[in-house]
Amino acid sequence: MENKLMLQDVKKTFGDGDQQVEVLKGITLEVKTGEFVAVVGPSGSGKSTFLSVAGALLSPTSGRIMIGNQDISTLGTKELNQIRLKYIGFVFQSANLIPYLTVRDQLLLLPELEHQKHKEAEKIADSLLERLGLLHRKNHYPEQLSGGERQRTAIARAWMNDPEIILADEPTASLDSERGRSVVQMLADEVKLREKAAIMVTHDQRMLDLCDRVVYMEDGRLMSHPSVL
Amino acid sequence: MFLALREMKHAKMRYVLIGLIMVLISFLVLFVSGLAKGLASDNASSIQTMTADYVVLDKQSDQRLNRSELTNEQLKELLRLTHKKQMTEFGLQMTTIQKNGASKKTDSTLFAVDPKGFIAPPAAEGQSLKGADKNETVGDLSLKEEGFVIGDRLKEETTGTVLKLVGFTKNQSFSHSPVFHVSLKTWEAMHDGKQSVNAVALKADSEKAKQIEKQVSGVEMISKNDALKSIPGFKEEQGSLLMMIAFLFVIAAFVLSVFFYVITLQKVNQFGVLKAIGAQSGYLSRTVLYQVLFLTIVSLVVSILLTFTVSQLLPASMPFLLNVPLVAGCSVLFLTVSVIGSLISLYQVIKIDAIEAIGRAS
Ligand SMILES: Nc1ncnc2c1ncn2[C@@H]1O[C@H](COP(=O)(O)OP(=O)(O)OP(=O)(O)O)[C@@H](O)[C@H]1O
Ligand SMILES: [Mg+2]
Repeated sequence: MENKLMLQDVKKTFGDGDQQVEVLKGITLEVKTGEFVAVVGPSGSGKSTFLSVAGALLSPTSGRIMIGNQDISTLGTKELNQIRLKYIGFVFQSANLIPYLTVRDQLLLLPELEHQKHKEAEKIADSLLERLGLLHRKNHYPEQLSGGERQRTAIARAWMNDPEIILADEPTASLDSERGRSVVQMLADEVKLREKAAIMVTHDQRMLDLCDRVVYMEDGRLMSHPSVL
Repeated sequence: MFLALREMKHAKMRYVLIGLIMVLISFLVLFVSGLAKGLASDNASSIQTMTADYVVLDKQSDQRLNRSELTNEQLKELLRLTHKKQMTEFGLQMTTIQKNGASKKTDSTLFAVDPKGFIAPPAAEGQSLKGADKNETVGDLSLKEEGFVIGDRLKEETTGTVLKLVGFTKNQSFSHSPVFHVSLKTWEAMHDGKQSVNAVALKADSEKAKQIEKQVSGVEMISKNDALKSIPGFKEEQGSLLMMIAFLFVIAAFVLSVFFYVITLQKVNQFGVLKAIGAQSGYLSRTVLYQVLFLTIVSLVVSILLTFTVSQLLPASMPFLLNVPLVAGCSVLFLTVSVIGSLISLYQVIKIDAIEAIGRAS
Protein backbone atom coordinates (compact mmCIF):
# COMPACT_ATOMS: atom_id res chain seq x y z
CA MET A 1 0.00 0.00 0.00
CA GLU A 2 1.08 3.52 -0.82
CA ASN A 3 2.29 5.97 1.84
CA LYS A 4 0.20 9.10 2.30
CA LEU A 5 2.59 10.63 4.78
CA MET A 6 6.12 9.78 5.78
CA LEU A 7 8.32 11.38 8.42
CA GLN A 8 11.96 10.41 8.64
CA ASP A 9 13.97 11.28 11.72
CA VAL A 10 12.21 14.63 12.08
CA LYS A 11 13.56 16.95 14.76
CA LYS A 12 12.20 20.28 15.89
CA THR A 13 14.01 22.70 18.17
CA PHE A 14 12.47 25.89 19.52
CA GLY A 15 14.37 28.98 20.64
CA ASP A 16 18.02 29.77 20.20
CA GLY A 17 21.23 29.93 22.25
CA ASP A 18 20.82 28.83 25.85
CA GLN A 19 17.07 28.80 25.55
CA GLN A 20 16.98 25.92 23.07
CA VAL A 21 14.34 23.25 23.63
CA GLU A 22 14.27 20.15 21.53
CA VAL A 23 10.59 19.29 21.35
CA LEU A 24 10.70 16.58 18.67
CA LYS A 25 13.66 14.29 19.08
CA GLY A 26 13.72 12.30 15.89
CA ILE A 27 10.33 11.10 14.77
CA THR A 28 9.81 8.44 12.15
CA LEU A 29 6.32 7.51 11.04
CA GLU A 30 4.56 6.18 7.98
CA VAL A 31 0.86 6.55 7.40
CA LYS A 32 -0.63 4.42 4.62
CA THR A 33 -3.68 4.92 2.47
CA GLY A 34 -6.86 4.15 4.40
CA GLU A 35 -5.10 4.28 7.72
CA PHE A 36 -6.42 6.17 10.75
CA VAL A 37 -3.68 6.72 13.32
CA ALA A 38 -4.20 7.97 16.86
CA VAL A 39 -1.47 9.80 18.77
CA VAL A 40 -1.72 9.80 22.55
CA GLY A 41 0.66 11.07 25.18
CA PRO A 42 1.05 13.34 28.19
CA SER A 43 0.60 17.07 27.97
CA GLY A 44 3.67 18.88 26.74
CA SER A 45 5.14 15.83 25.07
CA GLY A 46 5.05 17.46 21.66
CA LYS A 47 1.88 16.14 20.04
CA SER A 48 0.65 19.47 18.69
CA THR A 49 4.13 20.35 17.51
CA PHE A 50 4.33 17.00 15.73
CA LEU A 51 1.00 17.66 14.03
CA SER A 52 2.09 21.16 12.99
CA VAL A 53 5.28 19.84 11.45
CA ALA A 54 3.50 16.98 9.69
CA GLY A 55 0.86 19.43 8.47
CA ALA A 56 3.31 21.92 6.94
CA LEU A 57 2.46 24.58 9.49
CA LEU A 58 5.96 24.48 10.93
CA SER A 59 9.22 23.65 9.19
CA PRO A 60 11.25 20.89 10.86
CA THR A 61 14.76 21.69 12.13
CA SER A 62 16.01 18.54 10.44
CA GLY A 63 14.64 15.39 8.86
CA ARG A 64 12.49 14.63 5.86
CA ILE A 65 8.75 14.91 5.39
CA MET A 66 6.97 13.45 2.38
CA ILE A 67 3.34 14.12 1.57
CA GLY A 68 2.32 11.74 -1.20
CA ASN A 69 5.43 11.76 -3.35
CA GLN A 70 6.44 15.30 -2.52
CA ASP A 71 9.25 16.28 -0.19
CA ILE A 72 8.03 19.34 1.70
CA SER A 73 10.89 19.74 4.20
CA THR A 74 12.62 22.42 2.14
CA LEU A 75 9.71 24.47 0.84
CA GLY A 76 9.11 28.18 1.61
CA THR A 77 6.10 29.76 3.29
CA LYS A 78 4.18 30.35 0.10
CA GLU A 79 4.62 26.82 -1.22
CA LEU A 80 3.69 25.38 2.18
CA ASN A 81 0.49 27.41 2.00
CA GLN A 82 -0.33 25.74 -1.31
CA ILE A 83 0.52 22.29 0.10
CA ARG A 84 -1.83 22.84 3.02
CA LEU A 85 -4.54 24.08 0.71
CA LYS A 86 -4.29 21.12 -1.67
CA TYR A 87 -3.19 18.09 0.34
CA ILE A 88 -3.97 18.64 4.00
CA GLY A 89 -7.15 19.05 5.97
CA PHE A 90 -7.04 20.34 9.53
CA VAL A 91 -9.48 19.78 12.36
CA PHE A 92 -8.48 21.95 15.28
CA GLN A 93 -9.11 21.39 18.94
CA SER A 94 -11.81 24.06 19.17
CA ALA A 95 -13.46 23.85 15.80
CA ASN A 96 -12.00 27.22 14.80
CA LEU A 97 -14.71 28.09 12.34
CA ILE A 98 -14.89 31.56 10.85
CA PRO A 99 -17.59 33.32 12.89
CA TYR A 100 -19.11 35.29 10.05
CA LEU A 101 -19.51 32.43 7.58
CA THR A 102 -22.50 30.12 7.43
CA VAL A 103 -21.84 26.39 7.62
CA ARG A 104 -22.03 26.12 3.85
CA ASP A 105 -19.75 29.12 3.30
CA GLN A 106 -17.17 27.61 5.66
CA LEU A 107 -16.83 24.84 3.10
CA LEU A 108 -17.08 27.07 0.02
CA LEU A 109 -14.19 29.17 1.29
CA LEU A 110 -11.73 26.47 0.27
CA PRO A 111 -12.58 26.34 -3.44
CA GLU A 112 -12.65 30.14 -3.30
CA LEU A 113 -9.06 30.11 -2.06
CA GLU A 114 -8.16 27.71 -4.86
CA HIS A 115 -9.95 29.86 -7.48
CA GLN A 116 -12.22 26.99 -8.41
CA LYS A 117 -15.66 27.08 -9.95
CA HIS A 118 -18.47 27.62 -7.52
CA LYS A 119 -21.13 25.46 -9.16
CA GLU A 120 -19.23 22.19 -8.72
CA ALA A 121 -18.00 23.21 -5.30
CA GLU A 122 -21.55 23.82 -4.13
CA LYS A 123 -22.49 20.26 -5.07
CA ILE A 124 -19.51 18.84 -3.23
CA ALA A 125 -20.26 20.97 -0.18
CA ASP A 126 -23.90 19.92 -0.10
CA SER A 127 -23.09 16.24 -0.38
CA LEU A 128 -20.50 16.54 2.39
CA LEU A 129 -22.98 18.33 4.63
CA GLU A 130 -25.56 15.68 3.91
CA ARG A 131 -23.17 12.86 4.86
CA LEU A 132 -22.30 14.59 8.11
CA GLY A 133 -25.94 15.30 8.88
CA LEU A 134 -25.61 19.05 8.67
CA LEU A 135 -27.77 19.88 5.68
CA HIS A 136 -30.52 21.40 7.82
CA ARG A 137 -27.94 23.69 9.41
CA LYS A 138 -26.23 24.87 6.27
CA ASN A 139 -27.35 28.50 6.55
CA HIS A 140 -26.55 28.80 10.22
CA TYR A 141 -23.63 30.66 11.74
CA PRO A 142 -21.18 28.88 14.09
CA GLU A 143 -22.63 30.70 17.11
CA GLN A 144 -25.96 29.02 16.43
CA LEU A 145 -24.50 25.51 16.37
CA SER A 146 -23.92 23.01 19.14
CA GLY A 147 -20.36 21.94 19.93
CA GLY A 148 -20.80 18.67 18.05
CA GLU A 149 -22.25 20.39 15.03
CA ARG A 150 -19.33 22.80 15.00
CA GLN A 151 -16.86 19.97 15.16
CA ARG A 152 -18.67 18.14 12.36
CA THR A 153 -18.60 21.32 10.30
CA ALA A 154 -14.86 21.53 10.89
CA ILE A 155 -14.52 17.94 9.67
CA ALA A 156 -16.60 18.71 6.61
CA ARG A 157 -14.39 21.72 5.94
CA ALA A 158 -11.27 19.58 6.29
CA TRP A 159 -12.62 17.23 3.60
CA MET A 160 -13.76 20.00 1.31
CA ASN A 161 -10.53 20.41 -0.66
CA ASP A 162 -10.25 16.63 -1.06
CA PRO A 163 -6.98 16.40 0.89
CA GLU A 164 -4.74 13.35 1.01
CA ILE A 165 -4.51 13.42 4.76
CA ILE A 166 -6.51 14.82 7.67
CA LEU A 167 -4.76 16.05 10.80
CA ALA A 168 -6.94 16.45 13.86
CA ASP A 169 -5.77 17.92 17.16
CA GLU A 170 -8.03 16.76 19.99
CA PRO A 171 -11.18 17.15 17.91
CA THR A 172 -13.34 15.77 20.70
CA ALA A 173 -11.97 17.78 23.60
CA SER A 174 -15.02 20.03 23.85
CA LEU A 175 -17.60 17.28 23.37
CA ASP A 176 -19.27 14.73 25.62
CA SER A 177 -18.11 11.17 24.98
CA GLU A 178 -21.17 10.16 22.95
CA ARG A 179 -20.93 13.13 20.58
CA GLY A 180 -17.15 12.83 20.54
CA ARG A 181 -17.41 9.23 19.52
CA SER A 182 -19.78 9.95 16.64
CA VAL A 183 -17.47 12.68 15.40
CA VAL A 184 -14.50 10.31 15.43
CA GLN A 185 -16.60 7.57 13.86
CA MET A 186 -17.38 9.96 11.02
CA LEU A 187 -13.73 10.74 10.56
CA ALA A 188 -12.88 7.04 10.43
CA ASP A 189 -15.66 6.32 7.94
CA GLU A 190 -14.58 9.11 5.64
CA VAL A 191 -10.98 7.91 5.69
CA LYS A 192 -12.05 4.43 4.58
CA LEU A 193 -14.60 5.68 2.05
CA ARG A 194 -12.25 8.07 0.30
CA GLU A 195 -9.09 6.02 0.67
CA LYS A 196 -7.29 8.84 2.40
CA ALA A 197 -5.47 8.89 5.73
CA ALA A 198 -5.82 10.65 9.07
CA ILE A 199 -3.86 11.33 12.23
CA MET A 200 -5.72 12.26 15.37
CA VAL A 201 -4.22 13.52 18.61
CA THR A 202 -6.45 12.59 21.52
CA HIS A 203 -6.52 12.25 25.28
CA ASP A 204 -9.62 10.14 25.20
CA GLN A 205 -8.78 6.43 25.59
CA ARG A 206 -12.34 5.47 24.59
CA MET A 207 -11.83 6.63 21.02
CA LEU A 208 -8.83 4.42 20.38
CA ASP A 209 -10.83 1.38 19.25
CA LEU A 210 -12.05 3.39 16.25
CA CYS A 211 -8.49 3.85 15.03
CA ASP A 212 -6.38 1.39 13.08
CA ARG A 213 -3.23 2.07 15.02
CA VAL A 214 -2.21 3.91 18.15
CA VAL A 215 1.20 5.51 18.62
CA TYR A 216 2.47 6.95 21.88
CA MET A 217 4.24 10.29 22.16
CA GLU A 218 6.57 10.60 25.11
CA ASP A 219 9.02 13.47 25.52
CA GLY A 220 9.39 14.12 21.85
CA ARG A 221 9.61 10.48 20.74
CA LEU A 222 6.99 8.28 19.10
CA MET A 223 6.66 4.64 20.21
CA SER A 224 4.32 1.85 19.27
CA HIS A 225 3.79 0.87 22.93
CA PRO A 226 3.50 3.02 26.02
CA SER A 227 6.60 2.78 28.22
CA VAL A 228 4.65 2.71 31.47
CA LEU A 229 1.37 0.86 31.75
CA MET B 1 -14.50 39.69 -1.80
CA PHE B 2 -15.87 36.40 -0.54
CA LEU B 3 -14.75 37.07 3.00
CA ALA B 4 -14.92 40.87 2.90
CA LEU B 5 -18.61 41.13 2.07
CA ARG B 6 -19.71 38.27 4.28
CA GLU B 7 -17.95 39.67 7.28
CA MET B 8 -19.40 43.12 6.81
CA LYS B 9 -22.85 41.60 6.42
CA HIS B 10 -22.42 39.63 9.63
CA ALA B 11 -21.04 42.52 11.69
CA LYS B 12 -23.37 45.13 10.20
CA MET B 13 -23.64 47.33 13.24
CA ARG B 14 -19.89 47.72 13.59
CA TYR B 15 -19.38 48.66 9.97
CA VAL B 16 -22.45 50.88 9.77
CA LEU B 17 -21.19 52.87 12.74
CA ILE B 18 -17.72 53.37 11.36
CA GLY B 19 -19.30 54.13 7.97
CA LEU B 20 -21.39 56.80 9.65
CA ILE B 21 -18.30 58.43 11.10
CA MET B 22 -16.68 58.34 7.67
CA VAL B 23 -19.81 59.89 6.15
CA LEU B 24 -19.67 62.72 8.65
CA ILE B 25 -15.99 63.39 8.11
CA SER B 26 -16.20 63.27 4.33
CA PHE B 27 -19.32 65.41 4.43
CA LEU B 28 -17.41 67.96 6.45
CA VAL B 29 -14.52 67.80 3.98
CA LEU B 30 -16.83 68.41 1.05
CA PHE B 31 -18.77 71.08 2.83
CA VAL B 32 -15.74 73.04 3.95
CA SER B 33 -14.20 72.66 0.48
CA GLY B 34 -17.39 73.99 -1.07
CA LEU B 35 -17.34 76.85 1.37
CA ALA B 36 -13.70 77.64 0.60
CA LYS B 37 -14.42 77.58 -3.08
CA GLY B 38 -17.54 79.67 -2.59
CA LEU B 39 -15.69 82.21 -0.50
CA ALA B 40 -12.89 82.40 -3.02
CA SER B 41 -15.35 83.08 -5.77
CA ASP B 42 -17.34 85.50 -3.64
CA ASN B 43 -14.13 87.28 -2.79
CA ALA B 44 -12.45 87.56 -6.12
CA SER B 45 -14.36 86.08 -9.00
CA SER B 46 -13.44 89.09 -11.14
CA ILE B 47 -9.83 87.99 -11.04
CA GLN B 48 -10.61 84.25 -11.07
CA THR B 49 -12.66 84.47 -14.24
CA MET B 50 -10.09 86.60 -16.05
CA THR B 51 -8.76 84.66 -19.02
CA ALA B 52 -5.25 85.94 -18.38
CA ASP B 53 -2.07 84.12 -17.39
CA TYR B 54 -0.15 87.00 -15.86
CA VAL B 55 -0.79 90.37 -14.36
CA VAL B 56 1.75 93.16 -14.86
CA LEU B 57 2.10 95.44 -11.86
CA ASP B 58 4.15 98.38 -10.83
CA LYS B 59 7.21 97.16 -8.91
CA GLN B 60 6.52 99.32 -5.88
CA SER B 61 3.00 97.99 -5.44
CA ASP B 62 3.93 95.17 -3.07
CA GLN B 63 2.00 92.90 -5.43
CA ARG B 64 -1.23 94.68 -4.53
CA LEU B 65 -3.50 95.39 -7.48
CA ASN B 66 -5.10 98.38 -5.82
CA ARG B 67 -1.74 99.98 -4.99
CA SER B 68 -0.24 99.51 -8.42
CA GLU B 69 -0.03 102.23 -11.01
CA LEU B 70 1.44 101.85 -14.49
CA THR B 71 2.83 104.84 -16.39
CA ASN B 72 2.13 105.58 -20.04
CA GLU B 73 5.74 104.81 -20.90
CA GLN B 74 5.50 101.38 -19.34
CA LEU B 75 2.29 100.70 -21.24
CA LYS B 76 3.93 101.71 -24.48
CA GLU B 77 6.89 99.46 -23.79
CA LEU B 78 4.58 96.55 -23.04
CA LEU B 79 2.64 97.13 -26.20
CA ARG B 80 5.89 97.11 -28.14
CA LEU B 81 6.90 93.75 -26.69
CA THR B 82 3.65 91.80 -27.06
CA HIS B 83 0.83 91.57 -29.48
CA LYS B 84 -2.01 94.01 -28.89
CA LYS B 85 -4.46 91.13 -28.56
CA GLN B 86 -2.40 89.43 -25.85
CA MET B 87 -2.67 92.26 -23.35
CA THR B 88 -5.30 94.55 -21.97
CA GLU B 89 -4.91 97.18 -19.30
CA PHE B 90 -7.35 97.77 -16.49
CA GLY B 91 -7.94 100.07 -13.57
CA LEU B 92 -9.71 99.43 -10.32
CA GLN B 93 -10.86 101.36 -7.35
CA MET B 94 -12.77 100.51 -4.19
CA THR B 95 -15.65 102.85 -3.84
CA THR B 96 -19.25 103.20 -2.79
CA ILE B 97 -22.18 103.55 -5.13
CA GLN B 98 -25.41 105.33 -4.36
CA LYS B 99 -28.58 104.96 -6.34
CA ASN B 100 -29.73 108.37 -7.42
CA GLY B 101 -32.32 109.63 -4.99
CA ALA B 102 -31.82 106.79 -2.51
CA SER B 103 -29.91 107.15 0.71
CA LYS B 104 -28.48 103.63 0.84
CA LYS B 105 -24.83 103.26 -0.15
CA THR B 106 -23.34 100.07 -1.55
CA ASP B 107 -19.69 99.15 -1.19
CA SER B 108 -18.35 98.07 -4.52
CA THR B 109 -15.31 97.98 -6.72
CA LEU B 110 -15.03 99.89 -9.95
CA PHE B 111 -13.20 98.09 -12.75
CA ALA B 112 -12.14 99.99 -15.84
CA VAL B 113 -11.59 97.76 -18.85
CA ASP B 114 -11.27 97.98 -22.59
CA PRO B 115 -14.73 96.82 -23.75
CA LYS B 116 -13.08 95.01 -26.66
CA GLY B 117 -10.32 93.47 -24.53
CA PHE B 118 -10.37 89.87 -23.34
CA ILE B 119 -11.23 90.66 -19.74
CA ALA B 120 -14.37 92.65 -20.52
CA PRO B 121 -17.28 90.69 -19.03
CA PRO B 122 -20.13 89.53 -21.28
CA ALA B 123 -23.57 90.68 -20.23
CA ALA B 124 -25.80 88.15 -18.52
CA GLU B 125 -28.72 90.54 -18.76
CA GLY B 126 -29.15 93.82 -20.61
CA GLN B 127 -26.28 95.18 -22.68
CA SER B 128 -22.56 94.82 -22.36
CA LEU B 129 -20.14 97.75 -22.27
CA LYS B 130 -19.44 99.70 -25.43
CA GLY B 131 -16.26 101.56 -26.16
CA ALA B 132 -17.42 105.00 -27.09
CA ASP B 133 -20.44 105.42 -24.89
CA LYS B 134 -19.61 107.41 -21.87
CA ASN B 135 -20.86 107.00 -18.32
CA GLU B 136 -22.33 103.56 -18.80
CA THR B 137 -21.69 100.70 -16.45
CA VAL B 138 -22.50 97.00 -16.01
CA GLY B 139 -22.77 95.48 -12.52
CA ASP B 140 -22.63 92.05 -10.94
CA LEU B 141 -25.88 90.07 -10.83
CA SER B 142 -25.87 90.07 -7.03
CA LEU B 143 -26.76 93.76 -7.24
CA LYS B 144 -30.09 92.84 -8.74
CA GLU B 145 -31.04 91.15 -5.48
CA GLU B 146 -30.20 94.38 -3.72
CA GLY B 147 -32.74 96.27 -5.72
CA PHE B 148 -30.71 97.60 -8.61
CA VAL B 149 -32.42 97.50 -12.01
CA ILE B 150 -31.25 98.21 -15.53
CA GLY B 151 -31.62 101.91 -16.28
CA ASP B 152 -30.75 103.02 -12.75
CA ARG B 153 -28.60 106.10 -12.41
CA LEU B 154 -25.78 105.54 -9.96
CA LYS B 155 -23.61 108.09 -8.26
CA GLU B 156 -19.99 107.10 -7.70
CA GLU B 157 -18.83 108.58 -4.41
CA THR B 158 -15.25 109.74 -4.93
CA THR B 159 -15.72 111.57 -8.21
CA GLY B 160 -19.42 112.28 -8.03
CA THR B 161 -19.90 110.93 -11.56
CA VAL B 162 -23.34 109.60 -12.38
CA LEU B 163 -23.27 106.29 -14.26
CA LYS B 164 -26.10 104.57 -16.09
CA LEU B 165 -26.57 100.88 -15.35
CA VAL B 166 -27.03 99.18 -18.74
CA GLY B 167 -26.59 95.50 -17.89
CA PHE B 168 -25.71 92.78 -15.42
CA THR B 169 -22.69 90.48 -15.47
CA LYS B 170 -22.07 87.11 -13.89
CA ASN B 171 -19.50 86.25 -11.20
CA GLN B 172 -17.88 89.62 -10.85
CA SER B 173 -16.67 90.41 -7.39
CA PHE B 174 -13.55 91.74 -5.78
CA SER B 175 -12.67 91.66 -2.08
CA HIS B 176 -16.21 90.46 -1.30
CA SER B 177 -17.82 93.43 -2.99
CA PRO B 178 -19.75 93.50 -6.28
CA VAL B 179 -17.90 94.92 -9.25
CA PHE B 180 -19.10 97.65 -11.59
CA HIS B 181 -17.33 97.71 -14.93
CA VAL B 182 -16.85 100.90 -16.91
CA SER B 183 -14.94 101.50 -20.09
CA LEU B 184 -11.45 102.96 -19.95
CA LYS B 185 -12.77 106.07 -21.66
CA THR B 186 -15.40 106.62 -19.00
CA TRP B 187 -12.77 105.97 -16.35
CA GLU B 188 -10.55 108.67 -17.81
CA ALA B 189 -13.39 111.12 -18.05
CA MET B 190 -14.38 110.41 -14.46
CA HIS B 191 -10.94 111.46 -13.33
CA ASP B 192 -10.47 114.36 -15.74
CA GLY B 193 -7.92 112.35 -17.72
CA LYS B 194 -5.57 112.18 -14.78
CA GLN B 195 -6.12 108.63 -13.57
CA SER B 196 -3.78 106.03 -15.02
CA VAL B 197 -4.43 102.27 -15.11
CA ASN B 198 -3.43 99.91 -12.30
CA ALA B 199 -2.31 96.88 -14.18
CA VAL B 200 -2.20 94.92 -17.41
CA ALA B 201 -3.65 91.47 -17.91
CA LEU B 202 -1.40 89.39 -20.12
CA LYS B 203 -1.65 86.16 -22.04
CA ALA B 204 1.83 84.70 -22.23
CA ASP B 205 3.90 81.66 -21.32
CA SER B 206 6.37 81.91 -18.44
CA GLU B 207 9.32 82.35 -20.80
CA LYS B 208 7.83 85.36 -22.43
CA ALA B 209 6.61 86.79 -19.14
CA LYS B 210 10.12 86.67 -17.70
CA GLN B 211 11.53 88.31 -20.77
CA ILE B 212 9.03 91.16 -20.61
CA GLU B 213 9.63 91.67 -16.91
CA LYS B 214 13.33 92.09 -17.63
CA GLN B 215 12.92 94.51 -20.49
CA VAL B 216 10.36 96.92 -19.09
CA SER B 217 11.71 98.95 -16.24
CA GLY B 218 9.81 99.20 -12.98
CA VAL B 219 7.25 96.43 -13.59
CA GLU B 220 6.62 93.18 -11.87
CA MET B 221 5.01 90.13 -13.42
CA ILE B 222 2.84 87.96 -11.17
CA SER B 223 0.76 84.96 -12.09
CA LYS B 224 -3.01 85.15 -11.84
CA ASN B 225 -2.90 82.93 -8.76
CA ASP B 226 -0.50 85.27 -7.00
CA ALA B 227 -2.71 88.16 -7.93
CA LEU B 228 -5.59 86.35 -6.23
CA LYS B 229 -3.53 85.77 -3.12
CA SER B 230 -2.67 89.44 -2.93
CA ILE B 231 -6.30 90.48 -2.62
CA PRO B 232 -6.85 91.63 0.97
CA GLY B 233 -8.15 88.73 3.09
CA PHE B 234 -8.03 86.14 0.33
CA LYS B 235 -4.98 84.23 1.53
CA GLU B 236 -6.09 84.25 5.15
CA GLU B 237 -9.58 82.97 4.38
CA GLN B 238 -8.41 80.22 2.09
CA GLY B 239 -5.51 79.33 4.37
CA SER B 240 -7.61 78.70 7.45
CA LEU B 241 -10.19 76.68 5.53
CA LEU B 242 -7.50 74.65 3.83
CA MET B 243 -6.00 73.93 7.22
CA MET B 244 -9.33 72.57 8.41
CA ILE B 245 -9.64 70.38 5.34
CA ALA B 246 -6.13 69.04 5.79
CA PHE B 247 -6.87 68.17 9.42
CA LEU B 248 -10.09 66.43 8.42
CA PHE B 249 -8.14 64.23 6.02
CA VAL B 250 -5.65 63.38 8.76
CA ILE B 251 -8.51 62.58 11.15
CA ALA B 252 -10.14 60.36 8.54
CA ALA B 253 -6.91 58.45 8.06
CA PHE B 254 -6.51 57.98 11.81
CA VAL B 255 -10.08 56.91 12.44
CA LEU B 256 -9.90 54.31 9.70
CA SER B 257 -6.50 53.01 10.66
CA VAL B 258 -7.36 52.70 14.36
CA PHE B 259 -10.64 50.99 13.56
CA PHE B 260 -9.11 48.44 11.24
CA TYR B 261 -6.10 48.00 13.50
CA VAL B 262 -8.31 47.06 16.44
CA ILE B 263 -10.50 44.82 14.30
CA THR B 264 -7.46 43.06 12.89
CA LEU B 265 -6.05 42.54 16.39
CA GLN B 266 -9.32 40.90 17.37
CA LYS B 267 -9.10 38.61 14.39
CA VAL B 268 -5.52 37.39 14.78
CA ASN B 269 -6.67 33.91 15.68
CA GLN B 270 -9.10 33.83 12.78
CA PHE B 271 -6.48 34.94 10.30
CA GLY B 272 -4.24 32.21 11.74
CA VAL B 273 -6.90 29.62 10.98
CA LEU B 274 -7.37 30.99 7.50
CA LYS B 275 -3.66 30.80 6.84
CA ALA B 276 -3.54 27.29 8.30
CA ILE B 277 -6.14 26.07 5.84
CA GLY B 278 -4.14 27.61 3.03
CA ALA B 279 -5.11 31.27 2.55
CA GLN B 280 -2.23 33.40 1.32
CA SER B 281 -1.27 36.66 3.02
CA GLY B 282 -2.04 38.45 -0.23
CA TYR B 283 -5.58 37.12 -0.28
CA LEU B 284 -6.22 38.17 3.30
CA SER B 285 -4.68 41.62 2.82
CA ARG B 286 -6.89 42.12 -0.19
CA THR B 287 -9.88 41.22 1.96
CA VAL B 288 -9.01 44.00 4.39
CA LEU B 289 -8.34 46.39 1.53
CA TYR B 290 -11.69 45.61 -0.10
CA GLN B 291 -13.41 46.38 3.16
CA VAL B 292 -11.61 49.69 3.51
CA LEU B 293 -12.40 50.65 -0.07
CA PHE B 294 -15.99 49.49 0.17
CA LEU B 295 -16.52 51.43 3.36
CA THR B 296 -14.88 54.56 1.95
CA ILE B 297 -16.71 54.48 -1.36
CA VAL B 298 -20.11 53.93 0.20
CA SER B 299 -19.46 56.70 2.74
CA LEU B 300 -18.32 59.00 -0.03
CA VAL B 301 -21.41 58.39 -2.15
CA VAL B 302 -23.67 59.03 0.83
CA SER B 303 -21.82 62.17 1.82
CA ILE B 304 -21.76 63.52 -1.73
CA LEU B 305 -25.52 63.10 -1.94
CA LEU B 306 -25.84 64.68 1.47
CA THR B 307 -23.66 67.62 0.51
CA PHE B 308 -25.61 68.33 -2.65
CA THR B 309 -28.89 68.10 -0.77
CA VAL B 310 -27.66 70.46 1.92
CA SER B 311 -26.26 72.88 -0.66
CA GLN B 312 -29.72 73.14 -2.20
CA LEU B 313 -31.09 74.15 1.17
CA LEU B 314 -28.52 76.83 1.84
CA PRO B 315 -29.62 80.46 1.50
CA ALA B 316 -28.47 82.02 -1.77
CA SER B 317 -26.42 84.63 0.05
CA MET B 318 -24.19 81.92 1.55
CA PRO B 319 -21.10 81.55 -0.59
CA PHE B 320 -21.00 77.86 -1.47
CA LEU B 321 -19.64 76.37 -4.67
CA LEU B 322 -19.31 72.68 -5.38
CA ASN B 323 -18.38 71.45 -8.80
CA VAL B 324 -17.52 68.07 -10.24
CA PRO B 325 -13.71 68.51 -10.30
CA LEU B 326 -13.74 69.57 -6.66
CA VAL B 327 -15.87 66.61 -5.57
CA ALA B 328 -13.80 64.22 -7.68
CA GLY B 329 -10.57 65.61 -6.27
CA CYS B 330 -11.75 65.32 -2.68
CA SER B 331 -13.00 61.77 -3.31
CA VAL B 332 -9.74 60.58 -4.80
CA LEU B 333 -7.81 62.15 -1.95
CA PHE B 334 -10.16 60.55 0.55
CA LEU B 335 -9.69 57.12 -1.00
CA THR B 336 -5.93 57.54 -0.98
CA VAL B 337 -5.93 58.63 2.62
CA SER B 338 -8.04 55.67 3.69
CA VAL B 339 -5.80 53.20 1.89
CA ILE B 340 -2.81 54.76 3.63
CA GLY B 341 -4.70 54.44 6.90
CA SER B 342 -5.17 50.72 6.36
CA LEU B 343 -1.47 50.01 5.83
CA ILE B 344 -0.79 49.13 9.48
CA SER B 345 -3.55 46.56 9.39
CA LEU B 346 -2.23 45.08 6.18
CA TYR B 347 1.18 44.75 7.81
CA GLN B 348 -0.47 43.03 10.78
CA VAL B 349 -2.24 40.57 8.55
CA ILE B 350 0.94 39.65 6.73
CA LYS B 351 2.79 39.17 10.02
CA ILE B 352 0.26 36.71 11.51
CA ASP B 353 1.50 33.13 11.61
CA ALA B 354 -0.57 30.14 10.60
CA ILE B 355 0.65 28.27 13.66
CA GLU B 356 -1.56 30.50 15.84
CA ALA B 357 -4.37 28.21 14.85
CA ILE B 358 -3.21 24.92 16.26
CA GLY B 359 -2.57 23.51 19.73
CA ARG B 360 -1.38 26.13 22.21
CA ALA B 361 -2.99 29.16 20.73
CA SER B 362 -6.52 27.85 20.65
N1 LIG C 1 6.94 28.15 19.69
C1 LIG C 1 7.46 27.50 20.75
N2 LIG C 1 8.55 28.01 21.35
C2 LIG C 1 9.10 27.37 22.41
N3 LIG C 1 8.61 26.24 22.92
C3 LIG C 1 7.52 25.68 22.36
C4 LIG C 1 6.88 26.29 21.25
N4 LIG C 1 5.83 25.52 20.90
C5 LIG C 1 5.80 24.50 21.75
N5 LIG C 1 6.80 24.58 22.64
C6 LIG C 1 7.10 23.62 23.73
O1 LIG C 1 7.09 22.34 23.18
C7 LIG C 1 6.55 21.41 24.11
C8 LIG C 1 5.49 20.58 23.42
O2 LIG C 1 4.39 21.40 23.09
P1 LIG C 1 3.11 20.82 22.39
O3 LIG C 1 2.14 21.92 22.22
O4 LIG C 1 3.52 20.11 21.16
O5 LIG C 1 2.58 19.78 23.46
P2 LIG C 1 1.33 18.81 23.42
O6 LIG C 1 1.84 17.44 23.46
O7 LIG C 1 0.45 19.19 22.29
O8 LIG C 1 0.61 19.16 24.78
P3 LIG C 1 -0.96 19.19 25.12
O9 LIG C 1 -1.39 17.80 25.25
O10 LIG C 1 -1.03 19.93 26.41
O11 LIG C 1 -1.62 19.93 24.02
C9 LIG C 1 6.02 22.23 25.28
O12 LIG C 1 6.92 22.09 26.36
C10 LIG C 1 6.01 23.65 24.76
O13 LIG C 1 6.35 24.52 25.81
MG1 LIG D 1 -1.53 20.17 22.07
